[in-house]
Amino acid sequence: MDVSHTIAHHILDHDFGVMLGGFHLPVTAHTLTMLGISIVLLAVAMLLSMKGKSLFARLMNTIGEEYVSFMRDGIVIPGIGKEGVAFLPYFCTLFLFILFSNLAGLIPQMKTITSNISVTGGLALCSGGLIVYAGIQAHGFWGFIKSFVPGGTPWWLIPLMFPLEVISLLIRVCVLAIRLFANMLSGHMVLLSLLLIIFIIGQMSKIAGVGAAFPAMGLEIFMTFLELLVAFLQAYVFTLLTSIYVGLVVHSH
Amino acid sequence: MTKKKDFPKEKRPIRLGPFSPQDHLVITTLGLEFAVAVALGVGGGFWIDTRFSSAPWGMVSGVFCGFALGMYILIKESRRLSQEEKNKEQK
Repeated sequence: MDVSHTIAHHILDHDFGVMLGGFHLPVTAHTLTMLGISIVLLAVAMLLSMKGKSLFARLMNTIGEEYVSFMRDGIVIPGIGKEGVAFLPYFCTLFLFILFSNLAGLIPQMKTITSNISVTGGLALCSGGLIVYAGIQAHGFWGFIKSFVPGGTPWWLIPLMFPLEVISLLIRVCVLAIRLFANMLSGHMVLLSLLLIIFIIGQMSKIAGVGAAFPAMGLEIFMTFLELLVAFLQAYVFTLLTSIYVGLVVHSH
Repeated sequence: MTKKKDFPKEKRPIRLGPFSPQDHLVITTLGLEFAVAVALGVGGGFWIDTRFSSAPWGMVSGVFCGFALGMYILIKESRRLSQEEKNKEQK
């Protein structure tokens, strides 16, 4: 049994090779999963904002209001301040998208799109774009450029400091992507590896394989709950760090 | 229990924290930022070696530059966190 092939098959993306008029469309397992998650998110948003006086409608509205209050008071205002409320829709969407993507990976036969660096890179680029936009909105374009150089820097150090500060911002954006990608990829590789232990030992001896199933399944259940926690945590960390970085840029002098 | 105010200002023990939850999160990020800075330096050095056939000097320089960049990021964030701590104390 080729363990590496099995892990790669379950974790890596698969291109379905869809062609349209000579163009190779990017229809892969991960893009289809992302589309499905987007449709689910749209449905959730429609549910949470449904109008009506029925008990269900009021319950949905209350849940929606609680969620938005949590994002505003727990993430946006502590990180950015009252000016950050303008960006609240982005943070609400970001948190829910990452959370649903992480949780979707725990459903059997579903793919974890956040274990794909392209997806997390795209999310990090969106956050990076928001950081730049918020900085330009707060300080103006030249004010934002000047904010890269710390106050009190001698003029002859500016050609060195400015590229360093720009690269620091790029590194922050990269770290956002890499953290989410590495956590999700490693978690799902561990989940797969624990199951594959049963088959590897079973190849040597069927009775040993059955015996290995019990501790392996116990660890698997424990790791699944841990991955559930990590799914929520990574969504929270990504969103909170984005708000902190936006706050640093908005409040830089 | 001795408190910070029991010491004269010039002899106060160095105290780390208290940090806000946001500061804690930034501190946990610093290690990965350092690693990514070094990785970027290595990547840049590898690219220079490939382009100008200067192996291994491009990568060696990249490692040192990445290390310096990582240290710069660490020191800058530490100063910012300690400056915020000073601002809170003055308030």
